[in-house]
Amino acid sequence: MLGEFEYLLITTAARLGDNAYGAAIREGIEEVAQRKCSIGALYTTIERLEGKGLITTWMGEATAERGGRAKRMVRVTGKGTRAAKEFYEVMMRVSSGASWAVRRAERLS
Amino acid sequence: MTSSWWSLVEFAARPLERDEREAVIGDSVEAGDSSWQALSGVLGFVLRRQLLLWKSWRPWLAAFGFAAPSTWLLMTVSLSVTCTSERLLGLNLGHWAPTGHEGIFMLLCHVFLLVAWSWTSGFAIGSLSPRTLWTSAALFLLLAQYLHRMYIVAAPVEAMHGAVAGGFPFHGSFPALAPLAPFLFVLPAVWGVRQGMRKVQLQLIPALLLAATITLLTASAWINNALWVFNWLLLCPALYLVATARRSETNRSRQVQRSERTSL
Repeated sequence: MLGEFEYLLITTAARLGDNAYGAAIREGIEEVAQRKCSIGALYTTIERLEGKGLITTWMGEATAERGGRAKRMVRVTGKGTRAAKEFYEVMMRVSSGASWAVRRAERLS
Repeated sequence: MTSSWWSLVEFAARPLERDEREAVIGDSVEAGDSSWQALSGVLGFVLRRQLLLWKSWRPWLAAFGFAAPSTWLLMTVSLSVTCTSERLLGLNLGHWAPTGHEGIFMLLCHVFLLVAWSWTSGFAIGSLSPRTLWTSAALFLLLAQYLHRMYIVAAPVEAMHGAVAGGFPFHGSFPALAPLAPFLFVLPAVWGVRQGMRKVQLQLIPALLLAATITLLTASAWINNALWVFNWLLLCPALYLVATARRSETNRSRQVQRSERTSL
């Protein structure tokens, strides 16, 4: 099963779609998780996920705002999507009945 | 970001591959990180990457299995070759002759073994874990400095106090060459490291021939009491080469079989 940070990274990359690359994923994680995301943690996790076949990466185009440097683009594979879905379902199942989950469900209804 | 900080970030990112460097520094620039944040981010990534490499057995074997013992043993062999040469040349330079009865054949045998042991050790270190080569290099420098002090700096002082057997001969006539005597192995070792890092694949037959020749010459020197028992350890890199050549040959034949099956 995925780790928490791996799930955050895959979900953010999936949400960003074709615009998923290092800086955008980092910004997305910091925004949603409300915590700092170091470049080291981001890229070692990207490498690990790629090694497991959960994402693929390739070098994209260079832009002026990056000082003319290329982006490392990220795409979630089918295997990655299945792993993220499994993580999500386990979290949903394990959370059912917990006070914070019940209150949230009540608020939503 | 000032250009000097920029250069520092670039320098810190040097252990990374080109594409990674591009992506990581580009991300920092795009995110508007301060120079300090960019530097600490890059250093953190490099550090994490290095630590992760040590989860594998390969860097451990390269540094502590091959680099450290080989440095120690090859330095003593280098000294031995130097001393035998000076004795055979008839130079009365001192008394330090650890293998004091060899003739020209045994000297040539030692020279060949020194080059072969150094090259195979370098090759094994370079191919096993090129990304942690700096650790093997640091170990080499530490050991070399210690042994150099022991053999070259301390030995003549001992000799002055009567421990003549410890004195190193080159001090008298070739003071400029004396510091280099224990490092005869460095050039072939560096050559081997470069070959190993380039992933040069030895074929099984040449690897076997090399290992067999080294074993025969080691045995011959051993029988003539011209080797130290620990010198047998220097066979390990040659055996490693044979093992990797055998593995790559097996992989190649498997690939051929697979492609034949798919074409059928």
